[in-house]
Amino acid sequence: MGSVTLRRLSKIFDGGIQALHDLDLDVRDGELLVLLGPSGSGKTTILRCIAGLEEPTGGDVLIGDRVVTRDPPRARDVAMVFQTPTLYPHLSVRENIAFPLEMRGTADAQVTRRVVEAATRLGIPSVLDRMPDTLSEGERQRAALARAIVRGPQAFLFDEPLSRLDAKLRIELRAELLALHRALGATMIYVTHDQTEAMTMGGGAGQRIAVLHEGRVRQVGTPEEIYQRPADVHVARFVGTPGMNVLQGRGRGTGEEGPVIEAGSLVIPVELSTYEGELQVGIRPEFVGLCAVDKGVGNVDVLVVEPLGSETLVHLNTGGQALVARLPGFADVRVGTRVGVKVDRRRLYLFDAAGVPLA
Amino acid sequence: MSSRGWAAAVTVAATIAATLALAVVFAAERHYERAFAFRIAGTTAAYVAAVTPPPQPPPPPPPAPRVVRGRRRPSIRPAPPPPPPQLAPLSPAARSYDLPSLLTQARALQTLPGWSSDVEVYFGTAPLVDATAPPLSPDDLSYLAAAGLWRAGRALVPLKDRDGQEVVGAVAVRPHPMPHGPLPGGIGFAFPAAILAIGAAAATAFRERSLRPGARGGYVGAALFLALATYLDVRAAARQSTDRWLVDTRRLLQEAATRLPPPRVRVAISDLAAIVRDGEVVAGEPADSPPRRVRVDGERRAVVAVLIGSGRWVELRSVPAELEAPRWLILLLPSALLGPLAILLLRWAERTPARLRRETAIAWGFLGPAGLHLTVFTIGPALYAIYLATAANLPALARDPVTWNALRNTALYALYVPVSVALALVAALAVFRYRQHWGGRLLSTAFVLPYVASAVVIALVWQAIYRWGSFGLGRTDWLSNTGSALPALMLISVWAHMGGQMVVFLAGLQAIPPAYLDAARVDGAGAWRGFWRVTLPLLRPVTWFVVLTGVLGALQMFTLVFVLTQGGPSPSHATGVMVHRIYQTAFGQQAFALASALAVVFAVMLLILRWPQLAILRRQVRNA
Ligand SMILES: Nc1ncnc2c1ncn2[C@@H]1O[C@H](COP(=O)(O)OP(=O)(O)OP(=O)(O)O)[C@@H](O)[C@H]1O
Ligand SMILES: [Mg+2]
Repeated sequence: MGSVTLRRLSKIFDGGIQALHDLDLDVRDGELLVLLGPSGSGKTTILRCIAGLEEPTGGDVLIGDRVVTRDPPRARDVAMVFQTPTLYPHLSVRENIAFPLEMRGTADAQVTRRVVEAATRLGIPSVLDRMPDTLSEGERQRAALARAIVRGPQAFLFDEPLSRLDAKLRIELRAELLALHRALGATMIYVTHDQTEAMTMGGGAGQRIAVLHEGRVRQVGTPEEIYQRPADVHVARFVGTPGMNVLQGRGRGTGEEGPVIEAGSLVIPVELSTYEGELQVGIRPEFVGLCAVDKGVGNVDVLVVEPLGSETLVHLNTGGQALVARLPGFADVRVGTRVGVKVDRRRLYLFDAAGVPLA
Repeated sequence: MSSRGWAAAVTVAATIAATLALAVVFAAERHYERAFAFRIAGTTAAYVAAVTPPPQPPPPPPPAPRVVRGRRRPSIRPAPPPPPPQLAPLSPAARSYDLPSLLTQARALQTLPGWSSDVEVYFGTAPLVDATAPPLSPDDLSYLAAAGLWRAGRALVPLKDRDGQEVVGAVAVRPHPMPHGPLPGGIGFAFPAAILAIGAAAATAFRERSLRPGARGGYVGAALFLALATYLDVRAAARQSTDRWLVDTRRLLQEAATRLPPPRVRVAISDLAAIVRDGEVVAGEPADSPPRRVRVDGERRAVVAVLIGSGRWVELRSVPAELEAPRWLILLLPSALLGPLAILLLRWAERTPARLRRETAIAWGFLGPAGLHLTVFTIGPALYAIYLATAANLPALARDPVTWNALRNTALYALYVPVSVALALVAALAVFRYRQHWGGRLLSTAFVLPYVASAVVIALVWQAIYRWGSFGLGRTDWLSNTGSALPALMLISVWAHMGGQMVVFLAGLQAIPPAYLDAARVDGAGAWRGFWRVTLPLLRPVTWFVVLTGVLGALQMFTLVFVLTQGGPSPSHATGVMVHRIYQTAFGQQAFALASALAVVFAVMLLILRWPQLAILRRQVRNA
């Protein structure tokens, strides 16, 4: 087992696309770190750099305190489960799981034993002699996981291993992966773009989530930290279902009604008068309320109503900016009407124009 | 369709089919009658040429033709003086015939007992037998120099001068109509069978609304019976045409035996044989008078025994025309089966909604041209080759060492395929590795160039290389050296085919998801083991495809041999591959039956070879 450290890692692809920007990340020995980020944020690229499949343009990769930046994949001793299915189609499940052992010259008797062990751990000992194309999607993914754990590597890299499964199977396998992590005590980096999954996987004791946006790590912390104290607007926007509303606005320190923030059609009174000029104001949908026209901090148009049963999402238009309200139960809101908005002032997040939180 | 209308349509279809079959029979019978007429006319012309003396400037003592008939022994006389040897080429006039003798001979033909045709001999354009008949036109004569002529029920063939050079007249034969049906009264089987088939169709169609499977089977049976009956008639007509010629020619030979000038005691068999150019005359045994079918050296022959003098028998042989009668089946079977086919079609049309009917018609409209092309240029020739092959002497083919040599050379030559496939794979890996780089693109262009070049151009370029370059290994031309000729061709083929195979491999490599190799690398495989354990197995279907098409192509190789070695170096046939052997047999030796047989046998071998490979290919494609 070993820690994984990325130091000022950057990657510029041939086409000139910069996927990673001077990225620092520290994964502690035995930790399960969840790498969360929207599509195209560079999650896969990070894993590929750690595995040695991609050579970074700058910076270093350390595995267990050893600089491995220029080492070939097989010298790095990591296991990876890929985003796309990669069971070798010409090999049976047994041969697939045995493949990494075989490549490292493990003795035959041991191979047999460990293949069965790994398969049993993932609940697929019965399909060992089948070909991959005869398996169900779930079995296939379990087999891929078994291939990863069959060897005791320094670290496991999971690139959205469950994204192709249906919801029920995903929940089931997630729990199994957590159990696996506890049992193996191994260093794992788990990539996902699904923040629910990130919250579940990264919610255990001593586990963290790293939020990635446009090739930069924006925040590393517990689920609560990244939800309650987002390090910037990107994290704020991305975390939560739906994410935080972030409106472009400006603060006016002095006025007849005291200090206010104007954002779209809203004029929100604030307590402190230190905000002057361009800023961004964030508010989670659950703290946006609706009321009669002119009774709140401003009036908005109702664009879309999404009743979800336990709650209703109401998409609003405030002076050209989008605002989402999350109301409990079924809300009596009509599309196309004009309503007033209430906000909980204590729940406002204020960021400067660049997206950095204002104290 | 109303049930009555339906039944009527069925009957009409059956009638048309039966009429068509009868028409084919009629055409075949006419064909064989004409064939007989032309043949006997040709024999008659040869007979006339043989028995008529040249014009004699000093009036000669008329050669008293002594008719020797029956078994009377010829009286023993001193041998007549031999004819004066001809020293100088004769003038055209001298090569012609003595008109009075010609007149006698021609008239004698008309009275030949037992002859089954009317005959007329023209000297120049003037008829000799029936002097009141209209003469030929000079145009006819010049036309006859090139080919026979069928006019007003008569076969006209040229009468050439004694040297066989110029057309001096013509012989016309009008065969007497002759019953040739095997049934009493000379009717054939075809007519009753046609009535039967129509009757079967009509009866079942009118009795029931539509044909039940059983009843339909009955009509199909009747149609097949019609096909068989018509074939039997055609065969009988073919057989009769040969028999008729044998019998009539026998009369001519007997006549010739007595008339051949100058009078001699024993007519030589070779003189008789000269009359029968499209048959054989050999010494024979006494036998019954009707023609028989026998085997001579394993070949079927029609023969009659001919008594040409007291106790002297010869045998007249001919290839029986019925041997090639089966080719009429190509017309007979489809016309007879047209009836059942039409009925099936009617039945389908009746049951199918109009929309589907229209769609089907349109589909066939699209398929038609391709189907026609396939039929005319592939299926047709293939069937014809199979038909031609039936006449070949297969045991002799199997005994021929040249055949086995060709087979061996073909197999040896095909061994270049593994080499070129391996090289193509290496090249594809290199090009794939450097596909972004200009070097990789240059490399791929270099490999693909020979693949798109004409095979003949490649052959000629390499011929030059082998002749003048010889790679500094001395100035021996590899292509004319028995030991090196085939390897030299294989080298060219490796070079020429590598590019195409590389392109296929390249496509295969591009189709492999890179994730597999990534996974293998993380799992600990280096480049080498990644290739052997992942890339190569994933390429297996592609490899099979390349090897399969390569081997099949190699086995059918022709161009290189044709352009470069002609199967040589000459005595050893060191590069005589199968297809070239077939070509040689057909167009070099003009032995089409043999060539067809070789082609058919070879095609069957390729097919057998192909079967397991196709099965493997199918399985591979499914697994990958
Ligand atoms: N081989 C490549 N060549 C050029 N650009 C690439 C390559 N691979 C990735 N990129 C770019 O790098 C950025 C990050 O890609 P990456 O695959 O790491 O995203 P991701 O976070 O894994 O997204 P997803 O959740 O959709 O898998 C993207 O903008 C992508 O277009
Ligand atoms: Mg990805």
